[in-house]
Amino acid sequence: MAIVLAVAAERGRRDALIGAAGAIVLLALAGLLIGPLVLARIPLEPLQVVVGVALLLFGLEWLRKGILRLARRRAPSSSLAEYLEEREALHALAPPADGPDWAARVVAGKGVLLEGLEVVLIVAALGAGADGLAPALAGAALACVAVCAIAVVVRRPLARLPESQLKYLVGVVLSALGVFFLAEGLGVEWPGGDAAPVYIALVLVAASQLQVAALAREAPA
Amino acid sequence: MIAQLRKLVLGETRTLPIGVASTLLAGLALDAAGPGWWHRAGGFVVLAGVLVTLGVSLRR
Repeated sequence: MAIVLAVAAERGRRDALIGAAGAIVLLALAGLLIGPLVLARIPLEPLQVVVGVALLLFGLEWLRKGILRLARRRAPSSSLAEYLEEREALHALAPPADGPDWAARVVAGKGVLLEGLEVVLIVAALGAGADGLAPALAGAALACVAVCAIAVVVRRPLARLPESQLKYLVGVVLSALGVFFLAEGLGVEWPGGDAAPVYIALVLVAASQLQVAALAREAPA
Repeated sequence: MIAQLRKLVLGETRTLPIGVASTLLAGLALDAAGPGWWHRAGGFVVLAGVLVTLGVSLRR
Protein backbone atom coordinates (compact mmCIF):
# COMPACT_ATOMS: atom_id res chain seq x y z
CA MET A 1 0.00 0.00 0.00
CA ALA A 2 2.84 2.41 0.89
CA ILE A 3 4.49 1.77 -2.50
CA VAL A 4 1.25 2.29 -4.46
CA LEU A 5 0.57 5.53 -2.53
CA ALA A 6 4.12 6.71 -3.26
CA VAL A 7 3.69 5.99 -7.00
CA ALA A 8 0.30 7.76 -6.99
CA ALA A 9 1.71 10.82 -5.23
CA GLU A 10 4.88 11.03 -7.34
CA ARG A 11 3.73 9.89 -10.81
CA GLY A 12 -0.07 10.01 -10.83
CA ARG A 13 -2.97 7.86 -9.66
CA ARG A 14 -3.72 6.33 -13.06
CA ASP A 15 -0.38 4.56 -13.50
CA ALA A 16 -0.35 3.48 -9.83
CA LEU A 17 -3.83 1.93 -10.16
CA ILE A 18 -3.02 0.24 -13.50
CA GLY A 19 0.13 -1.31 -12.00
CA ALA A 20 -1.73 -2.44 -8.87
CA ALA A 21 -4.65 -3.85 -10.89
CA GLY A 22 -2.27 -5.85 -13.10
CA ALA A 23 -0.64 -7.34 -10.01
CA ILE A 24 -4.06 -8.22 -8.52
CA VAL A 25 -4.96 -10.15 -11.71
CA LEU A 26 -1.66 -12.08 -11.46
CA LEU A 27 -2.31 -12.79 -7.76
CA ALA A 28 -5.81 -14.12 -8.54
CA LEU A 29 -4.28 -16.47 -11.13
CA ALA A 30 -1.60 -17.55 -8.61
CA GLY A 31 -4.30 -18.19 -5.97
CA LEU A 32 -6.28 -20.30 -8.45
CA LEU A 33 -3.17 -22.28 -9.42
CA ILE A 34 -1.89 -22.84 -5.87
CA GLY A 35 -5.23 -23.52 -4.14
CA PRO A 36 -7.80 -25.46 -6.20
CA LEU A 37 -5.35 -26.88 -8.77
CA VAL A 38 -2.29 -27.90 -6.69
CA LEU A 39 -3.14 -28.12 -2.97
CA ALA A 40 -6.59 -29.67 -3.56
CA ARG A 41 -4.96 -32.71 -5.21
CA ILE A 42 -2.61 -33.56 -2.30
CA PRO A 43 -3.82 -36.12 0.34
CA LEU A 44 -4.56 -34.72 3.84
CA GLU A 45 -1.41 -35.66 5.83
CA PRO A 46 1.19 -34.63 3.19
CA LEU A 47 -0.92 -31.51 2.65
CA GLN A 48 -0.70 -30.66 6.37
CA VAL A 49 3.09 -31.01 6.13
CA VAL A 50 3.21 -28.67 3.09
CA VAL A 51 0.91 -26.16 4.85
CA GLY A 52 2.91 -26.38 8.09
CA VAL A 53 6.26 -25.85 6.35
CA ALA A 54 4.89 -22.90 4.34
CA LEU A 55 3.42 -21.25 7.45
CA LEU A 56 6.66 -21.84 9.39
CA LEU A 57 8.83 -20.32 6.63
CA PHE A 58 6.74 -17.13 6.63
CA GLY A 59 5.91 -17.08 10.35
CA LEU A 60 9.44 -17.66 11.65
CA GLU A 61 10.80 -14.94 9.36
CA TRP A 62 8.21 -12.47 10.70
CA LEU A 63 8.91 -13.62 14.26
CA ARG A 64 12.69 -13.35 13.83
CA LYS A 65 12.43 -9.81 12.47
CA GLY A 66 9.91 -8.93 15.20
CA ILE A 67 12.28 -10.13 17.96
CA LEU A 68 15.20 -8.17 16.45
CA ARG A 69 13.02 -5.03 16.22
CA LEU A 70 11.70 -5.34 19.78
CA ALA A 71 15.29 -5.85 21.02
CA ARG A 72 16.35 -2.72 19.08
CA ARG A 73 18.76 -4.75 16.96
CA ARG A 74 16.92 -3.78 13.78
CA ALA A 75 15.14 -0.58 12.66
CA PRO A 76 11.43 -0.54 13.58
CA SER A 77 9.01 -1.48 10.80
CA SER A 78 7.71 1.75 9.23
CA SER A 79 5.36 2.03 6.27
CA LEU A 80 5.87 5.79 6.39
CA ALA A 81 9.63 5.37 5.91
CA GLU A 82 8.97 2.91 3.06
CA TYR A 83 6.59 5.46 1.47
CA LEU A 84 9.15 8.28 1.73
CA GLU A 85 12.01 6.09 0.38
CA GLU A 86 9.89 4.97 -2.58
CA ARG A 87 8.90 8.58 -3.37
CA GLU A 88 12.55 9.61 -3.28
CA ALA A 89 13.55 6.75 -5.61
CA LEU A 90 10.75 7.58 -8.04
CA HIS A 91 11.64 11.28 -7.93
CA ALA A 92 15.13 10.41 -9.18
CA LEU A 93 13.64 8.56 -12.19
CA ALA A 94 12.57 10.97 -14.94
CA PRO A 95 9.00 10.27 -16.18
CA PRO A 96 8.58 9.65 -19.94
CA ALA A 97 7.88 12.71 -22.06
CA ASP A 98 4.80 11.07 -23.58
CA GLY A 99 3.01 7.71 -23.53
CA PRO A 100 2.37 5.39 -20.59
CA ASP A 101 4.67 5.57 -17.55
CA TRP A 102 5.76 1.92 -17.48
CA ALA A 103 8.35 2.46 -14.77
CA ALA A 104 5.67 3.73 -12.36
CA ARG A 105 3.31 0.89 -13.32
CA VAL A 106 6.01 -1.74 -12.77
CA VAL A 107 7.01 -0.28 -9.38
CA ALA A 108 3.37 -0.21 -8.18
CA GLY A 109 2.68 -3.69 -9.61
CA LYS A 110 5.83 -5.20 -8.11
CA GLY A 111 4.96 -3.82 -4.67
CA VAL A 112 1.45 -5.30 -4.75
CA LEU A 113 2.68 -8.59 -6.25
CA LEU A 114 5.39 -9.23 -3.65
CA GLU A 115 3.27 -8.30 -0.63
CA GLY A 116 0.16 -9.98 -2.06
CA LEU A 117 1.92 -13.25 -2.93
CA GLU A 118 2.67 -13.81 0.75
CA VAL A 119 -1.02 -13.28 1.59
CA VAL A 120 -2.14 -15.58 -1.26
CA LEU A 121 0.23 -18.35 -0.08
CA ILE A 122 -0.92 -18.05 3.56
CA VAL A 123 -4.65 -18.01 2.69
CA ALA A 124 -4.21 -20.88 0.19
CA ALA A 125 -2.26 -22.89 2.80
CA LEU A 126 -4.86 -22.31 5.53
CA GLY A 127 -7.69 -22.91 3.04
CA ALA A 128 -6.25 -26.28 2.09
CA GLY A 129 -7.27 -27.76 5.47
CA ALA A 130 -10.23 -30.02 6.16
CA ASP A 131 -12.64 -27.07 6.55
CA GLY A 132 -11.99 -25.86 3.01
CA LEU A 133 -11.25 -22.41 1.62
CA ALA A 134 -14.31 -20.62 3.07
CA PRO A 135 -12.98 -19.96 6.64
CA ALA A 136 -9.59 -18.74 5.29
CA LEU A 137 -11.27 -16.43 2.76
CA ALA A 138 -13.73 -15.20 5.41
CA GLY A 139 -10.80 -14.46 7.74
CA ALA A 140 -8.92 -12.60 5.00
CA ALA A 141 -12.04 -10.58 4.12
CA LEU A 142 -12.66 -9.82 7.80
CA ALA A 143 -9.05 -8.62 8.14
CA CYS A 144 -9.50 -6.28 5.13
CA VAL A 145 -12.72 -4.86 6.60
CA ALA A 146 -11.14 -4.50 10.07
CA VAL A 147 -8.07 -2.67 8.67
CA CYS A 148 -10.29 -0.26 6.67
CA ALA A 149 -12.60 0.28 9.67
CA ILE A 150 -9.67 0.99 12.00
CA ALA A 151 -8.24 3.44 9.45
CA VAL A 152 -11.59 5.30 9.26
CA VAL A 153 -12.37 5.26 13.00
CA VAL A 154 -8.92 5.83 14.50
CA ARG A 155 -7.49 8.13 11.79
CA ARG A 156 -4.08 8.00 13.34
CA PRO A 157 -1.10 8.90 11.23
CA LEU A 158 0.67 5.95 9.61
CA ALA A 159 3.78 6.63 11.68
CA ARG A 160 1.96 6.07 14.99
CA LEU A 161 0.76 2.54 14.27
CA PRO A 162 2.67 -0.06 16.36
CA GLU A 163 3.81 -1.89 13.20
CA SER A 164 6.69 -3.78 14.78
CA GLN A 165 4.46 -5.20 17.54
CA LEU A 166 1.68 -6.09 15.06
CA LYS A 167 4.14 -7.91 12.78
CA TYR A 168 5.66 -9.73 15.77
CA LEU A 169 2.19 -11.00 16.74
CA VAL A 170 1.50 -12.11 13.15
CA GLY A 171 4.78 -14.03 13.31
CA VAL A 172 3.69 -15.76 16.54
CA VAL A 173 0.28 -16.74 15.11
CA LEU A 174 1.66 -18.03 11.77
CA SER A 175 4.46 -19.96 13.52
CA ALA A 176 2.03 -21.52 16.03
CA LEU A 177 -0.25 -22.68 13.20
CA GLY A 178 2.82 -23.92 11.29
CA VAL A 179 4.00 -26.06 14.25
CA PHE A 180 0.45 -27.39 14.72
CA PHE A 181 -0.09 -28.41 11.08
CA LEU A 182 3.43 -29.78 10.56
CA ALA A 183 3.13 -32.05 13.62
CA GLU A 184 -0.39 -33.18 12.62
CA GLY A 185 0.91 -33.99 9.15
CA LEU A 186 3.63 -36.11 10.79
CA GLY A 187 0.98 -38.19 12.59
CA VAL A 188 0.93 -36.38 15.95
CA GLU A 189 -2.24 -36.02 18.01
CA TRP A 190 -1.99 -32.80 20.05
CA PRO A 191 -3.20 -32.79 23.66
CA GLY A 192 -6.22 -30.49 23.68
CA GLY A 193 -6.91 -31.07 19.95
CA ASP A 194 -7.75 -27.89 18.03
CA ALA A 195 -6.95 -25.74 21.11
CA ALA A 196 -3.26 -26.66 20.78
CA PRO A 197 -2.30 -23.57 18.67
CA VAL A 198 -3.22 -21.43 21.71
CA TYR A 199 -0.66 -23.02 24.03
CA ILE A 200 1.88 -23.34 21.22
CA ALA A 201 1.51 -19.56 20.67
CA LEU A 202 1.97 -18.93 24.40
CA VAL A 203 5.19 -20.99 24.39
CA LEU A 204 6.42 -19.03 21.34
CA VAL A 205 5.61 -15.71 23.05
CA ALA A 206 7.46 -16.76 26.23
CA ALA A 207 10.51 -18.07 24.33
CA SER A 208 10.66 -15.06 22.00
CA GLN A 209 10.36 -12.57 24.87
CA LEU A 210 13.32 -14.28 26.54
CA GLN A 211 15.24 -13.83 23.27
CA VAL A 212 14.20 -10.15 23.13
CA ALA A 213 15.48 -9.61 26.68
CA ALA A 214 18.77 -11.46 25.98
CA LEU A 215 19.42 -9.59 22.72
CA ALA A 216 18.53 -6.24 24.29
CA ARG A 217 21.06 -6.90 27.07
CA GLU A 218 23.75 -7.72 24.49
CA ALA A 219 22.98 -4.66 22.34
CA PRO A 220 25.68 -1.97 22.34
CA ALA A 221 24.67 1.10 24.34
CA MET B 1 12.56 -9.35 -8.75
CA ILE B 2 13.77 -12.99 -8.57
CA ALA B 3 16.06 -12.10 -5.66
CA GLN B 4 13.14 -10.43 -3.85
CA LEU B 5 10.90 -13.45 -4.49
CA ARG B 6 13.58 -15.77 -3.12
CA LYS B 7 13.93 -13.54 -0.05
CA LEU B 8 10.14 -13.54 0.36
CA VAL B 9 9.87 -17.34 0.33
CA LEU B 10 13.16 -18.37 1.96
CA GLY B 11 13.70 -15.30 4.15
CA GLU B 12 16.81 -13.26 4.86
CA THR B 13 18.79 -16.12 6.40
CA ARG B 14 19.28 -19.70 5.25
CA THR B 15 19.09 -20.84 8.87
CA LEU B 16 15.28 -20.82 8.89
CA PRO B 17 14.66 -23.04 5.81
CA ILE B 18 17.50 -25.36 6.88
CA GLY B 19 16.12 -25.55 10.44
CA VAL B 20 12.55 -26.22 9.27
CA ALA B 21 13.80 -28.91 6.84
CA SER B 22 15.89 -30.52 9.62
CA THR B 23 12.87 -30.53 11.98
CA LEU B 24 10.76 -32.15 9.27
CA LEU B 25 13.38 -34.84 8.54
CA ALA B 26 13.88 -35.54 12.27
CA GLY B 27 10.10 -35.85 12.65
CA LEU B 28 9.86 -38.34 9.79
CA ALA B 29 12.75 -40.40 11.25
CA LEU B 30 11.33 -40.39 14.80
CA ASP B 31 7.85 -41.30 13.51
CA ALA B 32 9.35 -44.32 11.73
CA ALA B 33 11.45 -45.27 14.80
CA GLY B 34 8.73 -45.16 17.45
CA PRO B 35 5.22 -44.32 16.24
CA GLY B 36 3.63 -44.92 19.68
CA TRP B 37 5.31 -42.18 21.71
CA TRP B 38 5.67 -39.98 18.64
CA HIS B 39 1.90 -40.02 18.14
CA ARG B 40 1.41 -38.68 21.71
CA ALA B 41 4.40 -36.39 22.26
CA GLY B 42 5.91 -35.67 18.83
CA GLY B 43 4.31 -32.23 18.67
CA PHE B 44 6.54 -31.02 21.48
CA VAL B 45 9.60 -32.33 19.62
CA VAL B 46 8.52 -30.31 16.54
CA LEU B 47 7.97 -27.26 18.77
CA ALA B 48 11.43 -27.71 20.31
CA GLY B 49 12.98 -27.98 16.83
CA VAL B 50 11.29 -24.75 15.80
CA LEU B 51 12.46 -22.95 18.95
CA VAL B 52 16.07 -24.10 18.36
CA THR B 53 15.83 -22.97 14.71
CA LEU B 54 14.54 -19.55 15.79
CA GLY B 55 17.26 -19.20 18.43
CA VAL B 56 20.05 -20.09 15.97
CA SER B 57 18.66 -17.72 13.30
CA LEU B 58 18.79 -14.82 15.79
CA ARG B 59 22.50 -15.40 16.45
CA ARG B 60 23.42 -15.24 12.74
